[in-house]
Amino acid sequence: MQKNALHILLADDDEDDRLFFKDAFEEIKIQTNVNFVHDGMQLMEHLLNPDNKLPDILFLDLNMPKKTGKECLIEIKKTDHLKDIIIAIYSTSSSEEDIEDTFIQGANIYIKKPSDFNTLKKIINEVVTVNWHYHTSGLNRDNFLLRLK
Amino acid sequence: MKWIPNFNSSNSLRVIFVIAVFILLFLSSIAYKHNQDLNESSKVVMHTYEINIQLERLMSAIKDAETGQRGYIITRNARFLTPYIYSRDKVNTSFITLKKLTADNPEQQENLQKLFKLITQRFVSFENCLKYSDPKTYDKRKLDNHMFGGRILMENIRFKVDEMNDIEKAYLKKRLKIYDAEISLSPLFSISLFLVALCFILLAYRQISRDFERLKVYNKKLLISGGLMSESENIGKFSTWQWDLDSDKIDYSDNQFRLLGLEPNSFTPNKATLLKYVHPDDKESVAQAIDGIVEKKQLPFVYYKIIRPDFEIRYFKTTGKLLTDQQGSKILLGINFDITDEHLLNIELQERNKELEKSNKELASFNHVASHDLQEPLRKIQTFISRVSEADKSVMSESAKNYIGKIETSAKRMRVLIDDLLLFSRTNTTKKEFIKVNLNELLDNAESELAEIIEEKKAVIKTNRLPKLSVIPYQIEQLFINLIGNSLKYSQPDVEPEITITSEKVLASDYSGILDQSVKKYHKIIFTDNGMGFDPQFKETIFVLFQRLHSKTDYPGTGIGLAICKKIVENHKGHITADSIVSKGSVFTVFLPD
Repeated sequence: MQKNALHILLADDDEDDRLFFKDAFEEIKIQTNVNFVHDGMQLMEHLLNPDNKLPDILFLDLNMPKKTGKECLIEIKKTDHLKDIIIAIYSTSSSEEDIEDTFIQGANIYIKKPSDFNTLKKIINEVVTVNWHYHTSGLNRDNFLLRLK
Repeated sequence: MKWIPNFNSSNSLRVIFVIAVFILLFLSSIAYKHNQDLNESSKVVMHTYEINIQLERLMSAIKDAETGQRGYIITRNARFLTPYIYSRDKVNTSFITLKKLTADNPEQQENLQKLFKLITQRFVSFENCLKYSDPKTYDKRKLDNHMFGGRILMENIRFKVDEMNDIEKAYLKKRLKIYDAEISLSPLFSISLFLVALCFILLAYRQISRDFERLKVYNKKLLISGGLMSESENIGKFSTWQWDLDSDKIDYSDNQFRLLGLEPNSFTPNKATLLKYVHPDDKESVAQAIDGIVEKKQLPFVYYKIIRPDFEIRYFKTTGKLLTDQQGSKILLGINFDITDEHLLNIELQERNKELEKSNKELASFNHVASHDLQEPLRKIQTFISRVSEADKSVMSESAKNYIGKIETSAKRMRVLIDDLLLFSRTNTTKKEFIKVNLNELLDNAESELAEIIEEKKAVIKTNRLPKLSVIPYQIEQLFINLIGNSLKYSQPDVEPEITITSEKVLASDYSGILDQSVKKYHKIIFTDNGMGFDPQFKETIFVLFQRLHSKTDYPGTGIGLAICKKIVENHKGHITADSIVSKGSVFTVFLPD
């Protein structure tokens, strides 16, 4: 655990996805501290526990048991000390409805889960290295959905 | 109401009758007067005549006396004196009669007095003559004197009588003249008056017969429309009723009875029977509606059930209107519709709608399954394969490497299939926002999307000006991508693909078989290519989901692309057709409403 490491939190109920995520972070060799939660309830407990350090970036799956990603998103944005966390939606779905909804609820970026490990690495690299202050100020519906060139 | 004839003539008829009656009354009063006058004049004539007769009688009595006396004087036979003796009585009788007759005329009375005096003198002269002719007292000179005096007296009497006669005649003449003057004009006048009255009556008769003719015509029309009405009530399953609020009388049309399941006129309707057949559930609301109509003068549609005598339940719809006629009496007009068939149909439709909604929901959840749950394992298969590194592969057997490759290809194909299916279903389910855009812009987007393959195949795309239309932009863009992509995919080997896109405005009436005629003008956009084409017998089936004309090893594809095109065009209420000549090229024609 390095002090300057980036705090990453992934909320995803899928064990394989958490594995891919972990492997990808290990391979991109950026100093990160990656934590995992398995569902929405666990996520909110983690975030609201003052003992836990708040993540710099939260990767949020939408389709989770107990509490969905959308519900969590709304709760986070309503909570004063959580609302500034960078939230990257990380979902299998690419439906217009999901993209539209999460954009309106204040998510920072929408990532469709890739079906290729190398693509996943590229995406994570992109998301982690982006200047979020700059990106957030120029956020619009067109650049909300992450597309890799 | 318009069809009621206006019989204004009744007023003019009244005037004509009053005038004619007055004229006739006037005429009869004149006739009465005329009659009275005639009566009067005949009385006057009779009066004169009677006086004349009495005077003549008087004269003749005196003459008889004179003659008798002479006979006696000559013969000295007493028998000759008989007329003389009776003549005094006769004279007296005539005198009394004359006195009565001339009672109203002082002049004649005076004359009569004088005449009486003369006659008295004459009789004195007779006495004297008798006296002096008597042989005992005979005196020739005195006898001559008295005889002569008698002669003069006689002449005076005659003179007096003539005078009296003349006076009467003059009086008669005068009276007749007055009567004549009084009615001299009346025959002509009364005839003309009579003619006028006759004219008036004829005029009235003509008016009456004319009105009668018009009444006959309207009666016939009424009969026809009545027949039509009852016939159309029968066919249209509706009925009418009238409620005269003043006399509280209710009339049902024949069909009203039939709708209630009864024979026409099987009972006399009244206020209570209006509700008698209404289903107990609806009685209150119907009663309220009936009360409300009197205030509002109009009854909005009321829906209720009725129970027929055979306990069959029928569904009714009723509306009504309050009318006030020229006399100010209020009539409630009502129309009942038997909507049982529609109602049952509606229920069936609602049920079908529910079923449709249910199956739509199922489709939507299937869509969700496809988008999420199917993709999830596939994505993992692909990701795991991608994790098999080159280092791993080098230690694998050839066949294992081969199998890994095949798994990869199959997974990719499945990915394409799922993506296309998703696209297809989203074409239907996503929001359809119509925005006015220039189709050239959408075409440009489509071309840049396909830039890679266009460059690879060295394709040429020629376009003329496309219209600006109200469309769902991303769908039309998808349509262009699919159509151009299709042309590029099925290009002829060794021939550079050339796609021509043209657009023109056409009238819907020119394509009545295929276009919805409620929109008058369409834009016909034609995509022509020089590709390999297809057998024209498949020009319908190529738009069907999963229909493929080529093996997937030759041309990978899902058979969804053109089905999406059809769906998109249908979403825009347009039409798409395809035609082709094998190895010459294909033509896709898209009609979009203006």
